[in-house]
Amino acid sequence: MAKKLMLIIMMGIMVLCLTSCQNPGQIHRPNADTLYVGSVQASFPTAYMPWLSREGIAPTIAGMLYDSLFSYDEDTGNFVPSIGQEWYYVDQAGEPILTEDGSIDYARLEEVYSDPSHKYLAVKVIIHDNITWSDGKPLTVEDVYYSLDIATNNLLSNHAGALAWTSDLRHKYTNGVLTQRGLFTYEHGAREQGYEIAEEDKDTVIYLHVNKVLGSVMPLFTSVLILPKHIWEPVVTPQNQLNSAAPTEETLYRYRYPVGSGQFVLDTEESGSQQIVLRRRTDYHRTKEDGSPLYNIETIKYVLYQEINVAIYALLKGHIDVLDNSVSSNYLQLFEKEKDLFISNAPGTYIQTLVLNVNPVSSEQNPIRDLLSIKDFRRAIALAVNQEDLIKNVLNGAGIPASSGLMRSTLPDFYNPDADYLPIDYQARVAEANAILDTIVPDRDKDGYRLLNGERITFSILGSPGEQDCISYLEIQFQKIGIKVNYAAKGTQPESTYLYTSRFDMTLHGVSFSLSNIDIMYNAHFSALGRTSNYGRLVNRELDTLIENMRFTLNLNTKYDLIKAIQPILAEEYYKIPLYTSNVISVARTDRFIGYNIVEGSTVLNTSTLQNLKKSNVSR
Amino acid sequence: MKNTYVIKRIFYSLFVFVVVITLNFFIPRIGVVDPAERYYPPQGNMSEIEYEIIKQVTRKQYGFDVSTWQQYLNYLQGLSKGDLGKSFRPGSPAVIDLIVERLPWTLVLSVSTLLIGLIIGVMFGVVAATKRGRWQDTLLLNASTIMVAIPGFFIALMLSFYLGFELEVFPAYTDSNMVANFDWSLAAIRTVAYNAALPVLSMAVGSIIGHAQGTRNAVIAVTNEDFILTAKAKGLKQNTIRYKHILRNSMLPIVTSLGMSISGLIGGQVVIEQVFNWNGMGTLFLEANNTNDYPLMMGIMLLLSGFTILAILITDLVYVLLDPRVTVGDKR
Amino acid sequence: MKKKLPIHHGMARGIEKRLKNTGLFIKRIWSHKQGKIGLTMVGFLVVVAIFAPYIAPFNPYDVAERTTKGLPPSSKHLLGTTINTGQDIFSMLVYGTRVSLIVGVTSGICIAIVGSILGVAAGYIGGLVDSLVMRIVDIMLVIPTLPLVIVLTNVLGRDYWTIILIFVALGWTGLARTIRSLVLVLKNSNYVKAAELAGASRWHIMIRHILPGTSHLLIMSTALSSAGIMVAEAGLSFLGLGDPTAISWGKMLAEAQRGGALLFGAWWWILTPGIGIFLAVFSFMRLGIVMEEIMNPRMQRSSGVYKVFKNLNSAYVEEVFNSMDDYAKIGVTPAFEHGKGEVTHETGLKA
Repeated sequence: MAKKLMLIIMMGIMVLCLTSCQNPGQIHRPNADTLYVGSVQASFPTAYMPWLSREGIAPTIAGMLYDSLFSYDEDTGNFVPSIGQEWYYVDQAGEPILTEDGSIDYARLEEVYSDPSHKYLAVKVIIHDNITWSDGKPLTVEDVYYSLDIATNNLLSNHAGALAWTSDLRHKYTNGVLTQRGLFTYEHGAREQGYEIAEEDKDTVIYLHVNKVLGSVMPLFTSVLILPKHIWEPVVTPQNQLNSAAPTEETLYRYRYPVGSGQFVLDTEESGSQQIVLRRRTDYHRTKEDGSPLYNIETIKYVLYQEINVAIYALLKGHIDVLDNSVSSNYLQLFEKEKDLFISNAPGTYIQTLVLNVNPVSSEQNPIRDLLSIKDFRRAIALAVNQEDLIKNVLNGAGIPASSGLMRSTLPDFYNPDADYLPIDYQARVAEANAILDTIVPDRDKDGYRLLNGERITFSILGSPGEQDCISYLEIQFQKIGIKVNYAAKGTQPESTYLYTSRFDMTLHGVSFSLSNIDIMYNAHFSALGRTSNYGRLVNRELDTLIENMRFTLNLNTKYDLIKAIQPILAEEYYKIPLYTSNVISVARTDRFIGYNIVEGSTVLNTSTLQNLKKSNVSR
Repeated sequence: MKNTYVIKRIFYSLFVFVVVITLNFFIPRIGVVDPAERYYPPQGNMSEIEYEIIKQVTRKQYGFDVSTWQQYLNYLQGLSKGDLGKSFRPGSPAVIDLIVERLPWTLVLSVSTLLIGLIIGVMFGVVAATKRGRWQDTLLLNASTIMVAIPGFFIALMLSFYLGFELEVFPAYTDSNMVANFDWSLAAIRTVAYNAALPVLSMAVGSIIGHAQGTRNAVIAVTNEDFILTAKAKGLKQNTIRYKHILRNSMLPIVTSLGMSISGLIGGQVVIEQVFNWNGMGTLFLEANNTNDYPLMMGIMLLLSGFTILAILITDLVYVLLDPRVTVGDKR
Repeated sequence: MKKKLPIHHGMARGIEKRLKNTGLFIKRIWSHKQGKIGLTMVGFLVVVAIFAPYIAPFNPYDVAERTTKGLPPSSKHLLGTTINTGQDIFSMLVYGTRVSLIVGVTSGICIAIVGSILGVAAGYIGGLVDSLVMRIVDIMLVIPTLPLVIVLTNVLGRDYWTIILIFVALGWTGLARTIRSLVLVLKNSNYVKAAELAGASRWHIMIRHILPGTSHLLIMSTALSSAGIMVAEAGLSFLGLGDPTAISWGKMLAEAQRGGALLFGAWWWILTPGIGIFLAVFSFMRLGIVMEEIMNPRMQRSSGVYKVFKNLNSAYVEEVFNSMDDYAKIGVTPAFEHGKGEVTHETGLKA
């Protein structure tokens, strides 16, 4: 009896196991018109208020659901129309400052605004007149006004990011009261300011007053995603702010069912914490020249993976079309064996640098660290870095050497080859480095390491676990000049990395300079002290002056010249020593879609790809 | 006597719970200078003054602008209303919502592991105990010694490698469609079973052996007791003794281990969920930890501790109420 | 105040004898078939750990000794090289023994020290000390261990000494509780009473009489908790929360998984650290179980294994105690004891 019972239970379990053993017909990529995109993230957002999101995939999604005024083209240095159609600097009367051929007349700009009594630059933006929100309502300059206005009004928005984006906009609130007007539309004070806007242009023209810096329009145009006024105005109050930490039901509803002006809309039915489904809008205002939709793909489905290997496996097995993450160059040899794969080995935009703590605060000074404040000592360290070797070993060859001026050589307008004056031959470099060090710290111990007051000169390089490999190879290179370095783990929190408190010897830091960020970044990296990216607290008056001039010049040509002049000085400081520029490697499958484009600094899923992608002829 | 004990036990559990709440609140805050800084790290373009403003804004938004003590009181006040707080994620979803979304998926794994472990384990245990010293018992002993020394996540990795990657019998990872398209249809349930097979299998091995050993020991302990010997002496049938007396009396220790293992399973599942990309509480906790989302971390820890306290309380009370041999005395 | 105490009773004599015969104890383990296996394996691991630089063909910590990434096993690289760094896997395995053993054994010993001190103090001094220690134990018991460890490593740091500290801070509770229960019994034994009557100081009694009575429990606990900590350390490293600079088996597993060993089919990279963990845990556990069998012959076989399962709930040593001959209780103690209104020991002490 008991045995029978046991047998029955056993049978039951067996049956259960067998039923679950069978593949219940999981079909991958069922929809032929959908692009299945894998994304490795901690989690997917469930709120789509575009300003809230700073991490992971959220900015990408926000950028597809919402548009900014313009986007910036790094290659041409121009703003590409998006919501905005055209823009120009204007004089006091609102007349454009343009040359005959319609480009910005910098000479006149400088002339008009050189008078220090002019506190601002005036900018006129004309937006497209045929844009609609995804709920069908038209998008007008009132939406633009509302977005920029609320970004500065910290009683209503209190949004940390928005405050940073609009810091150059001369439109200021104090405790919820508008104290300085810097935005002008037909309905908001344009006439009083002396800007005539014709009745028929009242929905498309807006004037902005910005700080007298060429770069000040950049974040306003490209970072601020424009919000629909008719959606947000009714619910936003000082008690229920735009980015409230305790949103009301109404606000939450608006977070979850976004109304945007972008080329895609969110399929709220299908989307969740595991996948995000975006559908192409039929009434998007921008199209290809022949009038067909800008993007060929009707539906994009993002699928969440927690682990990169799982995502790669899914791609190889054909569960997804594209992987929207860059992968380590170690995987190249795996991909090369596979069929139907498109490997995008795109040149990178980030220069990995070794940052030296050249000027620690007095409480963090010690004799060994003091060596780093000697410029010749730093030169020796810079000489000992062998970029070719790092690229070969750390990146498996998937990278290019970086300029000592920290500018990418792919940006010919800015790149100054004069910054690269250190000898190329590595043997010669090491010899020179040793010669320099022999004059500063000649003593060596039995292992060949240099000694300072009888103590081995040892530096810790702060890095994340992923950077450990790179630091290991630096260890070998610095061994050649008798300097010992070792890896020290960077904490996961900013305050525990000690970067801002100068409690480090060296660290790794990726930098990327281009015209779009140079106004902010040169200052933040090499001039400003405090909580900036100038971790090593470099102080160089000459450099500071050049950077200031570069920021404040109203002549773009002068600006270019100054950027070129800054690079050799940066190189000579040996403060952020370039290590390499790593390629961005990503993969896609070609069995369903073809036409992937490789874009510098981007994965295979980029706007250019989205515009070109078409179904593969090979039917499956 | 028993009633006072029960009331005392309940109050004591409450006391423990309050202490645990307090610890959960303060431990993640050790060594944190300024939570605002952690939540909104400075960006390259900010001046000191700008950053200060932004930090103030962030502090106020997330309630860090008051003293830690006041934050603690606010937290307690929220808890008393059943509010676990809002996550730091964009859109400030309620912690309880995030947990409720993930909990069922974790329970799918824990409960099926527990059931399989219990059913097969108890069966093995009884067999081993009755065949004490014979090959069945030796087999169990040897299997136990070997399996217990292999970490669960290693079993998981190996299963995922051979059955998932190489043989492709089961999915090597969980497909996100499973969660997104779940609708209680038979096909959806089968998909879940298909995806859950490997994670459950990797945890069930340990669970089976744990329960088998527990049962075996309990059964042997009971077999040696007086009343069983009496029953034997009375000449009752072997099977009657085995199933009516021994197994029933062995149930209590089994129940105890059950209570403890529920919360242990949920907490210990972190690594297994990670291996199989399973979207449960374990991954949620790691996400919260990686993004310094204190409210979420506190919420999960609180839930798990709450489970444990409840399990212990219930087991203890069941003991006192059911087992006549346990007497309760107050030495004071 | 030091004073040789007259030995009056059999039990006291027994304990005295036990103390003197620690050497004999090891001999007894050796004469046990399973014990011999355990001791041999532990000895082997210790030898590997000490002589790692001589056994391993490469020094995995030395970057200069890295080679081509992702080599398959060959005569030069017995287990090939890693895909992400080009380190020799066999050498990593050998060096990994050091970290695993150091973390495991150090934590095990520290847990024994902390657990015995607090347990003896709680049991013998009683009163406020007792309540305090037992309340802490109760509270620690309900907080989920792994999540707590994750939070603590995040907050306190990840170097190995911190990790050992965290393991000890969370691991002592089960042992302390068991020791306390044992002390409660020892306290009422005649020889302790005799020592008290003879005017021996509390410290003297605790160190000279009570602690030796718990010594075997401590040795066994050290072996078993070392095994448990090794598994826990591997799990922690696997989640990427271990010491980033050290090479441990857990970290090797994590790197293998993150480096794509499964995708590349490099099974040897994943399998071998797993075997390492298994061997270490298995041998320490064997030792622990054999010790228990020697001390507690009535239980015999297999029960120890079950206890290791409960390791992370820190309840297993208590069960060993519960099942020991002299103090066997009927039934099982409620999972946590409620101060003094607890299940009385007297009920269990019938012959």
